Amino acid sequence: MNKSWMKRQSRLGYIFIGPNMLGVLLFFIIPAAYSFYLMFTDYKFMSPETHFIGLANIRRMLGDELFYVALKNTFVFLLAVPISIVLSFIVAVALNKSVYFQKTLRALYFMPYITSGVAVAFVWMLLFQPSSGPINGFLKGIGIAHPPGWLSTTGSSMYAIDIIWVWFMLGYNMIIYLAALQEIPEELMEAAKIDGARPWQIIRRIMWPLVSPTTFLLLITGLIMTIKNFGIIQAITQGGPGNSTTVLSLFIYQNAFRYYEMGYAAAISWALFVIIMIFTVLQWLGQKRWVHY
Amino acid sequence: MERVNTVEPATRNTPEIKADSFINIRKIIMTLIMSGFALLMIVPFVWMISTSFKSPADVFVYPIQWIPSSLNWEHHIKVWTGSDSFVTYYLNSLKISLISMIGAVFLSSFAAYGFARIQFKGREALFLVYLSMMMVPPQVLFVPKFIMFEWAGIYNTHWALILPGMFTIFGVFMLRQFFLTVPAEISEAAFIDGAGHFRIFFQLILPLAKPALATLAIIDFSWHWNDYENALVFLLDKDLYTVPLGLQNFILENNVDYNGMMAAATAGIIPMLIIFLIGQRYIIQGVAGSAVKG
Amino acid sequence: MRNKKWLTVLTVCVLMLGVLSGCGGNNKANGGEGSNSGPVKLTMWGAVPPENGPQEVVDTWNTAHPDIQVEYVRFVNDDDGNLKLDTALSTGQNVDLYVNYTLTNLDKRVKGNIALDLSGYTDYNIDEKMGADAASWKVDDKYYGMPTKKNSFFFALNKEALDKAGLAIPTAWTWDEAREYAVKLKAEGFKYGLVQHTASLVDPLDSVLVKDGYVKADGTSNMDDPLVTQWLETLNGMMKDDLTTPPLGEQLTSKMPVENMFLGGESAMINIGEWLIRSSNNTTEFPRDFQIAFAPVPRLTGNEADFVKSGGLGDFISINSKSKNKDAAWEFLKWYADGGMLPMAAGGRLPSSNAVDQQTAIDHLLGDHADSYDKESLEFVLYNDKTPTFVRGIAQEIVDMRAQEYEKYFLGNQTAAETVQNMVKRHNDFLKLQGK
Repeated sequence: MNKSWMKRQSRLGYIFIGPNMLGVLLFFIIPAAYSFYLMFTDYKFMSPETHFIGLANIRRMLGDELFYVALKNTFVFLLAVPISIVLSFIVAVALNKSVYFQKTLRALYFMPYITSGVAVAFVWMLLFQPSSGPINGFLKGIGIAHPPGWLSTTGSSMYAIDIIWVWFMLGYNMIIYLAALQEIPEELMEAAKIDGARPWQIIRRIMWPLVSPTTFLLLITGLIMTIKNFGIIQAITQGGPGNSTTVLSLFIYQNAFRYYEMGYAAAISWALFVIIMIFTVLQWLGQKRWVHY
Repeated sequence: MERVNTVEPATRNTPEIKADSFINIRKIIMTLIMSGFALLMIVPFVWMISTSFKSPADVFVYPIQWIPSSLNWEHHIKVWTGSDSFVTYYLNSLKISLISMIGAVFLSSFAAYGFARIQFKGREALFLVYLSMMMVPPQVLFVPKFIMFEWAGIYNTHWALILPGMFTIFGVFMLRQFFLTVPAEISEAAFIDGAGHFRIFFQLILPLAKPALATLAIIDFSWHWNDYENALVFLLDKDLYTVPLGLQNFILENNVDYNGMMAAATAGIIPMLIIFLIGQRYIIQGVAGSAVKG
Repeated sequence: MRNKKWLTVLTVCVLMLGVLSGCGGNNKANGGEGSNSGPVKLTMWGAVPPENGPQEVVDTWNTAHPDIQVEYVRFVNDDDGNLKLDTALSTGQNVDLYVNYTLTNLDKRVKGNIALDLSGYTDYNIDEKMGADAASWKVDDKYYGMPTKKNSFFFALNKEALDKAGLAIPTAWTWDEAREYAVKLKAEGFKYGLVQHTASLVDPLDSVLVKDGYVKADGTSNMDDPLVTQWLETLNGMMKDDLTTPPLGEQLTSKMPVENMFLGGESAMINIGEWLIRSSNNTTEFPRDFQIAFAPVPRLTGNEADFVKSGGLGDFISINSKSKNKDAAWEFLKWYADGGMLPMAAGGRLPSSNAVDQQTAIDHLLGDHADSYDKESLEFVLYNDKTPTFVRGIAQEIVDMRAQEYEKYFLGNQTAAETVQNMVKRHNDFLKLQGK
């Protein structure tokens, strides 16, 4: 009885997952396997000859200074993820019930996510303008004599990108949090209110733990999205000045689409894969401590 | 949920009416604060609109002119008329994004249910394989995908975007997380009533997950609507072009026609806004709460 | 039972997906084979927006040749655009003619066997028609296409300011002299003496290295040529000491529109090329009240005889070796080069073929605005300056890594010596990699 039930469950499970799995196999797993093979070749896009070169691409990567620069920049880029998650949770709670014009405000916070990347790049560049931009104007106004050069110096450019990325991800994280907040049973909050809990306590003790599966989702996908993203950096700085904003994914993009070094790009991609995998597995193992289903 | 009890009853005796009016004042203050930050959110958007009405020379006037000195409709007119009219691009984008979105929401909710609510062997392992596929940088998938599409005869057709577009690992992950939060008692009760997984899925879980489904739809639609790289590589014929490809027309030889580009891009936001506003109607409280009670 | 029903529904769904995708595929399969009846259809890919000349060119041809109809497709000449073209070419889509804008791109396409070797056609002598400069486009001593336009890079100067400052229009000068000019011209009330596109910034370096060699005799990098340091320090001095040219950080972060600045009277000189004429002719968008004079680009080397400048020929048009209509494409290409392209001269694209009369080309270039230019100096930089020219042919990797290093220098993150050292090191690494 139990055995046949298990079998039935298995079959059902695959029926539910099957259609999706087919697509994932075709459009993700098979291409990924192919790129895994490319890693061991000197394949250049359009070139008629391809040779198997073993681990040469990996050795090249490990000896490539730019790889380490990009790696470091990638880690700085990742700082934006937790910050944007916390901020967007606060925004989502605020826009959930405690404001007027909810719908309009939610739409406004979602705007960065759908605004044209060209406009985003153009405007942030001007906002961060070091000598006469509004941001430094404000900082000077409040008494900071030497505000950072933001996108114009190699030391600060990655942090400026972080700020833009937090701004960009805010609305996206927010609407996912909003959906999660809808799942919290009203009675729980009512009960807490009747018990005299302060709003801050409700947020911290009820809402935050109850949306933890969503936080987990946003943390994992946020890390993955951030590590994979290069579009916004390509639009704003193209990896400069110098190579101060060249993150790994941009480095891959340049190797693949600018130099057509597909084999080398594949090797860096798989290095990136390993890094993301480590992060994800660590979080996966750690989720039991703080994610409440 | 036992945490609720640990909340200290600090203001237990505050009369309720007073609390309400207090909250209202706070609500006004919150609205003001949140509106202030909202302005920051829309700065580039405002720039888009104002640029689409500016004269070309005014684009680079610094500090930025937020309100154009004169309203030039010509850029908007140019976008919609002439040989490079955006009407075709727009319709193509709508077709691709809508079909992909519907397919993606449908297929991911199925798979997510499988991963979240059905016990079967190898489930966790399979899910990790899924997740790991999110981690492969798309730049290196393009060559194999391209070879595959050419072989299948869908290179340079909309199917090259729609078919892969129907599969989103993020969507599976997200919906799985939501389905996991639906209390197990609900489906157990239904099981006892003799319902199978399909009925539970369609009649219980899906209605409960409306906010999540709507959210996924919004996000997924924006992805497809803004997808530039795939469209660039897989579409050749001009009559197949999508809006992001059309925007490239405004990149001239040595400069960019920001006016025209922003006029087109402003119009390009509208479908995403509409989907957002429609989807918003489903992001409302109460469904889950009442279900737990019943 | 119920499950079975669902299984069928699912199967049908999956099948439908398959069928739909199959249908999509069939629609497009027979695009380029309509050549047995009706006119031959050619597709030409280029990066100039159709309204800036190409449309007029193909329209003219199509009216005159009902049997060969050409369609112009525009791609953006950046990494993405070239990738798109290369994808189309390598899958044998019907691209019959395409324009290469850099030697690097051409080289990749020749290696990928998608550029037709033109030596099979003997009725048009490219060397004779285009002159000696054409040879720099040869790959393995063969023409896999035809250069069609003259590249001209020059300094454009505000004539009025020159006159006020009592400065002559230079016909040959060094960067030190140009620096002096910038100081004196700035004093005439300009914000800057000189502005330049970030892409033109590095041209003086290539001038030096083409002459002295990118690589030393022993096979190592020659980026430590003393003139490289001289270039770094000259430009840096102009940015930081003289304040005659915008500091790089400022230029990058304010998206400085350098052409607008020159035409709007904010800068007295601009380092630019023939494409300036499109903007400077557009007096409705860029009204100006001064004549524009022209000077050749300055040199770093003291010795005039050692100077080579960026220029040569451009718009190298190849025929796709997989094209089904190569002969028709060749007919069109010859016609295009020998004057068919003249409508594009208004945007600065002067035909390189000697079949086109110089005066006709200049008339097309200047249109109704001939009075607003100093014609003598224009003709000098376009035609009469006999300084040898080159077309940059180094790998994109080198261009990029150089740019990264000098950016760091101009932003003050490293000294000139460190910059040169890093360039040499990274160049050597690259050479080693290529040598393997």
